[in-house]
Amino acid sequence: MTGGRGDPGLLDRMVRGSLGWLDEARGFFRLPPNVTTDADPNLTLKPLGELAELTQLIGVLHPRDEIRQSARGLFAFAWNETRDGELFAELIRGEPFATYPVELYATFAQAGLRHADADELVATTTRLRGWRVAREDHTRTLNVLNAERRLGLRQHADFAAVLALTGLGRLPEPWTLDRKAVYGLTHDVFHLTDWGRNRQRLSPEATGYLRLWLPSWLDTWLEEETWDLAGELLAVTATLPDAPYDAEAWQRLAAVQAADGSVPEIGAAPTSGDPAETFLACYHSTLVTAFAATLARIACDEAEAGPATGDPALVGGRTPCESESAP
Amino acid sequence: MAEQTQGAVPLSAVIADAATGVALALRGEGGPYALSGILRHGDALTPAAVRVLGADALAPYAMEHRGAQAGPEDEAVVRQALAAYPPGADATEVSAWTYRGLVEASHAFLPAGAQPWPAPPEAGTGWVAQTPWPRLSHRVSQLAALALPGLAPGLAEQLAARTDDLSRGFVRAVRRRDWLQAAGLGRWLARLPDVAPTLGLDSGLAFVRQMGGADPRVTLHIVAAQRFHGRGW
Repeated sequence: MTGGRGDPGLLDRMVRGSLGWLDEARGFFRLPPNVTTDADPNLTLKPLGELAELTQLIGVLHPRDEIRQSARGLFAFAWNETRDGELFAELIRGEPFATYPVELYATFAQAGLRHADADELVATTTRLRGWRVAREDHTRTLNVLNAERRLGLRQHADFAAVLALTGLGRLPEPWTLDRKAVYGLTHDVFHLTDWGRNRQRLSPEATGYLRLWLPSWLDTWLEEETWDLAGELLAVTATLPDAPYDAEAWQRLAAVQAADGSVPEIGAAPTSGDPAETFLACYHSTLVTAFAATLARIACDEAEAGPATGDPALVGGRTPCESESAP
Repeated sequence: MAEQTQGAVPLSAVIADAATGVALALRGEGGPYALSGILRHGDALTPAAVRVLGADALAPYAMEHRGAQAGPEDEAVVRQALAAYPPGADATEVSAWTYRGLVEASHAFLPAGAQPWPAPPEAGTGWVAQTPWPRLSHRVSQLAALALPGLAPGLAEQLAARTDDLSRGFVRAVRRRDWLQAAGLGRWLARLPDVAPTLGLDSGLAFVRQMGGADPRVTLHIVAAQRFHGRGW
């Protein structure tokens, strides 16, 4: 991994390609009528939630206006699919103690999109003692805490205390990390930094650890052709201060992006010709590619501008309520 | 070197047995060490096995409190290997360095006999700074025997500048379950100063030994890291 300014042209082509494919795939992101009853949330709510989370970020932070516009179009589409938030009120009434409707709703709430009934329901359910019972997955709990912050709610646990229990808190021996642990670690970083918006929250210890070991993980997962994880690792790389640019890794990821902009999650894209199968095999990694290339592009601009004081490129997108929630 | 057979015993088995003998000696077990006791002078595969083990064939003689001094038979075994397998003009860096390692170890750990030892052949270090870390790591793991104390000081100095990269190679090797590469790299890292604490080298060496110890060469590297550099547990 070398330092340096990276390749803005390549990164922009990758974001444009990804967003173009995602735009064409809108039909597969549409929520079916049974979304609040018996549809599989992994095939409905999860893709839409990821689309919203990452296009919101790209729509605010990407330096190029036309890319921001196309990301905003997708974000607006996603909000429209929730029927202006009515969906969240229905989901919470259906599963009042589940975290996912709150996490999803918060993705939109951070952009100021609110729904009055959903707000009232969330205010009630998240005040319960039951809401504060520790959950098994500490990394996921960080996302719940962020959702509470985005919604302006009192956080049910101390962010720093939960973070301390995760991979990013423990900094495990780098050779022990299997696929699940690497996913966990990347999401610890995303939750701590609010998907790269608040990179200064990474401690010097975490920064040093990531800078040292990211190249070996990247090499491993590129070789395994686990493209979504490689993309997430490139996104984490781009959150580091004075972010390194791993030209070879970016070229390898660019090489698997198809002409239509899709990036397969693992190995080669399906060849069945079934568009639904292709969507499921590609939507996550294509979103991750757009996200990672956006963060890397911002890092390029910072390298161009010289040493950053704070995060000037990110000021416009910085998380609200930061002073209350910074661990 | 092509796989040769001696009766039904392939070269790899001869090397494995010899590595086991060296590792036992480094642990202070198995009685006084004699190279010619584990690889007999006159056995057809002995020169090849000594050439493959390189400096490690003499590793027990590098210990401060060794059980035995090397004798004429041991010296003869080494001389025969050096004569049989000199690196050619087109030798790879690894071949040149492993040969040099055996020569350096002979100078350092064997008594000066009547005949002088061959001069160590020239072996460059330019590749250390230029090679990308994955390939560098693989190559350095093949030079694990040169991590013996005092050998190849110039190489050690160059490698010290790539400590982080070699540590990344260790991580990569463990993830790939390439225990021999991991053990060889871990052994070099044990010699180098300033290995990042977050690597967990000591527990990493122990882990590699547990996972890959079925290969006697893996065990040899881990035992050597502990014996000579005090790393691992």
